[in-house]
Amino acid sequence: MRTKKINSSTLWSALVIALVYVGVFIAEQSLPSTSMLFTVLKKGATYALVAVSMNLLNGFTGLFSLGQAGFMLIGAYTYAILTIPVADRMNVYQYYAGGLVQFAMPVIPALIVAGLVAAVFAFLIGLPVLRLKSDYLAIATLGFAEIIRAIFQWNKLGALTNGSNILREFPTFNDFNIVNAEGEVVVYLSTTIPFLIAGVCIAIIVLLINSTYGRSLRAVKDDEVAAEAMGINLAHHKQLSFCVSSFFAGIGGAMLAMYQSTIQAKAFTSAMTYEILLIVVIGGIGSITGSCLASFLFVACSEWWLRFLDQKQMIGDFEVPLLRNGFRLVVFSIIIMIVVLFFRQGIMGTKELPDLFGRKKNLKREVKA
Amino acid sequence: MFNTVFPYLLTGISVGGQYALIAIGYTMVYGILRLINFAHGDVFMVAGIVMVYLNASGIPLWLSIVLTLLITVAIGFSIERIAYKPLRSAPRMSIMISAIGVSYTLQNLVLYITGGLNQFYPKIPFISNSVTIFGASTKMVTLVTPVLTVILVVALVMLINHTKIGMAMRAVSKDFETSQLMGIKINSVISTTFIIGSFLAAVGSMLYFTNYNTVIQTSGAMPGLKAFVAAVFGGIGSIPGAVVGAFVIGICENIIKGLDIILFKAGITTQNLGLATFSDAFTFALLIVILIVKPTGLFGEKTTDKV
Amino acid sequence: MSQNVLKVENLTMQFGGVVAVYDLCMEINEGEIVALIGPNGAGKTTAFNCITSVYEPTNGRISFMGKPIAQNSPHKKMHFTYAGTMPDAFRGKHVHLTPDKVTKLGIARTFQNIRLFGSMTVLENVMTAMHLRRKSNMFTATLHLNLAEEHYMKNKALKLLETVGLLDVQDEIATSLPYGKQRLLEIARALATDPKLLLLDEPAAGMNPQETDELSAFIKRIKDQFNLTILVIEHHMNLVMEISDRIYVVDFGKLIAEGTPAEIQENPAVIAAYLGGEDE
Repeated sequence: MRTKKINSSTLWSALVIALVYVGVFIAEQSLPSTSMLFTVLKKGATYALVAVSMNLLNGFTGLFSLGQAGFMLIGAYTYAILTIPVADRMNVYQYYAGGLVQFAMPVIPALIVAGLVAAVFAFLIGLPVLRLKSDYLAIATLGFAEIIRAIFQWNKLGALTNGSNILREFPTFNDFNIVNAEGEVVVYLSTTIPFLIAGVCIAIIVLLINSTYGRSLRAVKDDEVAAEAMGINLAHHKQLSFCVSSFFAGIGGAMLAMYQSTIQAKAFTSAMTYEILLIVVIGGIGSITGSCLASFLFVACSEWWLRFLDQKQMIGDFEVPLLRNGFRLVVFSIIIMIVVLFFRQGIMGTKELPDLFGRKKNLKREVKA
Repeated sequence: MFNTVFPYLLTGISVGGQYALIAIGYTMVYGILRLINFAHGDVFMVAGIVMVYLNASGIPLWLSIVLTLLITVAIGFSIERIAYKPLRSAPRMSIMISAIGVSYTLQNLVLYITGGLNQFYPKIPFISNSVTIFGASTKMVTLVTPVLTVILVVALVMLINHTKIGMAMRAVSKDFETSQLMGIKINSVISTTFIIGSFLAAVGSMLYFTNYNTVIQTSGAMPGLKAFVAAVFGGIGSIPGAVVGAFVIGICENIIKGLDIILFKAGITTQNLGLATFSDAFTFALLIVILIVKPTGLFGEKTTDKV
Repeated sequence: MSQNVLKVENLTMQFGGVVAVYDLCMEINEGEIVALIGPNGAGKTTAFNCITSVYEPTNGRISFMGKPIAQNSPHKKMHFTYAGTMPDAFRGKHVHLTPDKVTKLGIARTFQNIRLFGSMTVLENVMTAMHLRRKSNMFTATLHLNLAEEHYMKNKALKLLETVGLLDVQDEIATSLPYGKQRLLEIARALATDPKLLLLDEPAAGMNPQETDELSAFIKRIKDQFNLTILVIEHHMNLVMEISDRIYVVDFGKLIAEGTPAEIQENPAVIAAYLGGEDE
């Protein structure tokens, strides 16, 4: 009887997700491609993936890591370096005689390689760092992200990374659109495909969390001593979570590169990690659904809905005070502080989509320290 | 050789002193609340902005300095009351996230007020003057900083070791719960810690920005992180440790900034290696090495978890 | 002749200047229920933590099924402050496994201050403890290709919950259970790791008198059902006397007596330790 209930709530969830995808696809064909909606959806999907990958660490393994921007940087650079068309390389790497790499990979394999490279870096970084406890781990991973940023800007590696110059000309989301011989877009896919990529990646993370490995990661989060006493190898499982998280952060970074169409190492600062952390917190630490929702909300607020706060607004003859450049971010910060202080559970707490359709198993799952 | 290295060494000592003043705020707060106060670097930056705006308002410089100190202290105090106190019984991760939130808020607030433009820091007479020692020309602040830092640290250590509130601070950092049971007013101890930390950060900001001339909303992030690394390096919770750590980091970082020139002049290298890129990264490399080799830092105490 | 399951030789555990366990020797044979008793702070839980590798002993050797699982002698700084006996007897070979390896070899434990996984249901708590015997790897598990194994894990977990009588609360959050049931769940979780030796740290603490009465029968039952050897720390003397084949008594980290329940009850040193003798 109980299993049936889970199935029905899971089915409902699957239906909702499917509807979202259909909605995105239809919207993309019918609305002008310059609509703000698509900016939000594309960037939101990218951030959702990165936020979920961070949640896997912070919310499900209890590892407070602040290295996400570093792994995104690795992913973004790997993707860009591997996919810039050979013809454009002379132009992009103008100070480095066209650069070292002289081939270009297709997009999807490049995305996977981007993730793998980030995971390899994570493995190496994890060996010494994952032994550290909570806040020391946070500061060490933050430090590693800064070191990675410096390395990628080093002009001695310029033949590979283009030093501190921007990388560009690699395939972007718009290249997913199907065009006819005249160069007109026949089918718009520049939002649907990023949604699919992020969706597949998030689905894999969800499957991992719901497997025996996921249970073990949660055990590590709940109580390291007890987890170890139950035969769970701490080092191994932390490393696993760290690498998987970084793998997807790498793919997220590559997607960010595709979204922005140019990248530069100096943009991947700790402020970016903080933004993603705040998304995770707003969504609810330990809820994948929450991270996804919060990403879209966050991006929509910062790029679209609160934009009006940055411009002078007139109501009749009355000029609304305070409104000028930067006010949006102030309002935004205050909202975030309110969530952090008064709604610590975030939007979803630790609930997931199926819980909203009557799976009541998790409703009591309050995390108490 | 000496002539090449000396200016960098001099700047290093000066910057080290400025980091030390920030690092004390980190180490004291961590000692008591076990919290990395991510907002501390931004309090330091806000102190710089406050000074800029006060000076622009036309009041005498001495009054601006006094007011900057007072306002910074008030900000530090309010941050603790608003953002950390309500979370005292919450998991540690929540407070740390709150600290990151405060940092984000302060930066955005300053971005809004300044319009995201570099603000020129007022010249403070005497310490802004140029001097030449051993053939290296520098600002007076370079020489004043280490001296002032040492005086302030000695005063602070005396305060902690010889006054009642100092004793309370030591007790709270040893054992939060027990000292509460012993009737120590925990909230006032924590507030005092934030007041001292903010005061020192404000002093540090005056010295630092006199050196670097401009302030912008992100000015506090890097010095803040470095000062925290200094605190970890010296053994978090230990004030002398934080000071030593800060000087080490300040000096190393500036030597690295000049390493290319130093190596070139010494005839070791023949081309520019671009090593200056790593002047920030070095700090973090040092952090990771110290965390792995001696997680308790130079002067830290070992603690064991009870099972 | 019964085989030696656990052998503790000259175990000393020193934290700085404090000697928590001093020269402890124990032998536990297959199929026995052995109790480790002593006043509060006598070092019983520390001994457990050494056996399960949570702590690295300062000196001595612990062997499980004839193989050393921990062996150490005072070295480095400890060499100068060491206050125990025989500092050189175990020199040479140094063994320190991580706790999960010890569990994998077949030693499972419960905790004095219950340590259940607070974000999980009762059933998930038990299933988590079967992770160590998994055959699936990360990829097959993530892609849910190990359905048969998951099914097996779940059935086995349900059977264990039935054994301890918690089947009806399988979907409750573990930490929301009353104390007594949490203790039973800890035992079920430990059993899920397929142990040969079970270490119970004050299983009756927090139980009401009726639950305590049932506990002794329960411990004997699981011993037979799962072919266990059991080492138990307990303060309820009635329970100890009822279930134990042999008893070790420690006080201030030192072994002061060992023997059958009847012998221990007569032992003057034990009576002195518990009632406060003149030699203190």
